Amino acid sequence: MTFEIIMTWVTLLLYAGATAVSAIGVVFSKEKFIRTAVVVATAGLAAQTASLGLRWVRVGHGPYLGFYEVSAALVLFVVATFVVVASRQPRLASAGIGVMPVALLLLGGAMFAQTTEVPMTGKLTSFWLAIHVVFANLAFGAFVISFGLAIAYVVRERSKTGEWARRFGRLPAQDALENLTVSYVLVGFFFWGIMIVTGAIWANEAWGRYWGWDPVETWSLIVWIIYAVYLHLRYTLKWGGERLAWVAICAMPLSLFTLIGIPAVFDTTHAGIGGLGKDL
Amino acid sequence: MGSGRRVWRFLTSPVLAMVLLLWIGVWSIIGSFVPQSDLDPMGVALWAAANPALETVAGTLGLHEAFTSPLFIVPGLFLALCTAACAWQRAGVARRRARSLRDARSDVEPGDETSADFEIVCDPVLDTAAIVERSATTLEHLGISSRKGERFVSAVSPWWSVWGTAVFHWALVALIVLIAGGSLARASGQMGVAVKQVKPDRPESYGQLTSGPLHSWDLVDRWIRVDAFDIDYVTGDLHRGPTPTVTVLDGEGNVLASQLVYPNNTLKQGALTIYPVDYGLSATLAMVDDAGAEMQRTTQLVDFAEGNPDGTAPITPLGLAGPDGVLGYQVIVSVPLDERPEGLVACTPEVPAAHVVIVDTGGAAVVDEVIAVDEGVALPTGGELRLLGVDYYARLQMVDDPSIPLLYLAGTISMIGLGVATLARQMVLKAWTLESPEGTRLLVRMRLWRIHSTSRSEIEDELRRALGAAEGSRS
Ligand code: HEM
Repeated sequence: MTFEIIMTWVTLLLYAGATAVSAIGVVFSKEKFIRTAVVVATAGLAAQTASLGLRWVRVGHGPYLGFYEVSAALVLFVVATFVVVASRQPRLASAGIGVMPVALLLLGGAMFAQTTEVPMTGKLTSFWLAIHVVFANLAFGAFVISFGLAIAYVVRERSKTGEWARRFGRLPAQDALENLTVSYVLVGFFFWGIMIVTGAIWANEAWGRYWGWDPVETWSLIVWIIYAVYLHLRYTLKWGGERLAWVAICAMPLSLFTLIGIPAVFDTTHAGIGGLGKDL
Repeated sequence: MGSGRRVWRFLTSPVLAMVLLLWIGVWSIIGSFVPQSDLDPMGVALWAAANPALETVAGTLGLHEAFTSPLFIVPGLFLALCTAACAWQRAGVARRRARSLRDARSDVEPGDETSADFEIVCDPVLDTAAIVERSATTLEHLGISSRKGERFVSAVSPWWSVWGTAVFHWALVALIVLIAGGSLARASGQMGVAVKQVKPDRPESYGQLTSGPLHSWDLVDRWIRVDAFDIDYVTGDLHRGPTPTVTVLDGEGNVLASQLVYPNNTLKQGALTIYPVDYGLSATLAMVDDAGAEMQRTTQLVDFAEGNPDGTAPITPLGLAGPDGVLGYQVIVSVPLDERPEGLVACTPEVPAAHVVIVDTGGAAVVDEVIAVDEGVALPTGGELRLLGVDYYARLQMVDDPSIPLLYLAGTISMIGLGVATLARQMVLKAWTLESPEGTRLLVRMRLWRIHSTSRSEIEDELRRALGAAEGSRS
């Protein structure tokens, strides 16, 4: 347990480090710092994998029950997606300035909010749980990357003196950056869709109904529709530029709200995803 | 423009699709904040009392039934219609693109100068074979696999890559239609069945029931039996909770399906899904005449009721008629629970008994006795009511929905379509070399039908970089 706690704090420090180094790298146009941020984030990822792995062994189930575990798993997937993207396409590494703060705040918030363990129950034991949760995490990872890229796009677009264009110099040109944002939204939309479909199948197996307009279900559909609107704005109404980027920026927090914020606002049978596991 | 064309233009208009999607989204957001009468009737009443001004609007718009309201259903169905029209259109587009892909695949001749989108004057040190090789490697780096010829490189997406969008939109239509059709054909309700009891799958066996207008009760003759009940079924180290063993029988009494049912282990038989919601106790009673012959047997279901001193209360009391056939009394049967220091225990009592209260039409109790198994109470109408046994009853959620396997299928197809639309490139790229006095040139023709993370300019830039393009390359 102590080692697990140490690893969690190490993770937080490394993510804070990656955020700071990434910010310094972008603001002072230091390519080396931007690359270093990816390395630090990777080290954080290793520490977080260890911390969550130890917790998995200790509590006897994967990180998908209760506010802390759900948020931590989201963070893990966000940082993993970022590290994979930045290693395969190093020119995208400066998107870390938009991505790492999300990971840092989410993990910090989860650690300080509550880390209570929620026991596994018969109602939750299904292989659909793992599939459902993994796709939710993957979708969120993609949405946060699209968010980071869209922020970079808007900042560059607004930079009157071109200062920020220089700071984000390694990122692809604006049109390519926009295409990348759309691609990540599309990937996220696809994963989110799988999350909804597998969730509906699981609800049918567990509760005897595939859809019940529970707030979590309703909001996951709302988020899916908002991203469908984004994709239609892009593909059928040929939107582009800053206004399209703003749609991607505004949509991501709604997906986060759906994944962890619902129990704070609504009564939900899905309390396990973020609440205290009541009604499980 | 003919009116048919105008309607078609309207249905396939991107703005209409956007308006409908936004409407469904905004309506759902509002609906999520307003309590819904089917999920939370108490919440509706409390909300209405707390927000009288908003309630007038919510009531008028039907926001407490947001997801069955015409303001949601009609735009939803209209969206399905528009999506069908668009899917039809996308199928046409896909067919044309698939033809281009096929033609591009079979066309192995280098093109001429006029058909190129851009050309690159290559580094003179590179011969034709090196240019072809480098072009292929560059494309490979961008994640585009290509075929090489003697003087050309081509990257043609497979035929199915262009079908993703059409398949996805068609599957969405199927999903909406199936959800709507399913809700009309579905019957869903709760049925309480005591251990060893058999009930027909007919409306009269249900406590709560919603049955769609297209649902036919005469289609199948089915009976439900509960064979056993485990108050805490354990598998491995997991407590599955109160678990009945449920059997579905046909009209002749043949077993169609039989299994333990608990969450994530529902019983499925044809279109029927059975899932346990709750449990209670049951008291089996026999009406015996003065000569001691059994006249009638009944199973009384009782629920746990915290406020009641016994800890249980019957779901519905029995009516008792006198010899003239007129209902004269109500028989209220409860099962007294065992008491432990922590309170009453929601299990069958160690010494099973029934508490029988018989009241007359004026509400006065004429009988109030606790009887053990094989004991009886004298009935005011003559004869005796005898307790035969106490056991559990399982409250089962029964859903008969023939659309579910089709929904799963449509859901899977939609995800395959979306996966293809998301991940597959849709492109034709042909690059061929041409000798000319200024050196070897690479001519490139490119069709990128979907904006992809690799953009047009990127492919061009990378090829130019790789082939060491000299000044003068024309775009
Ligand atoms: C149920 C409602 C709908 C949803 C959820 C939806 C969703 C999507 C998504 C996610 C995409 C991008 C992925 C892909 O290409 O398949 C897309 C593309 C597209 N949608 Fe829809 N759509 C809906 C209805 C419609 C309607 C009514 C129209 C007709 C105006 C339409 C026309 C298109 C077109 C033209 C594209 C671009 C295809 C391309 O560029 O290849 N969609 N839609």
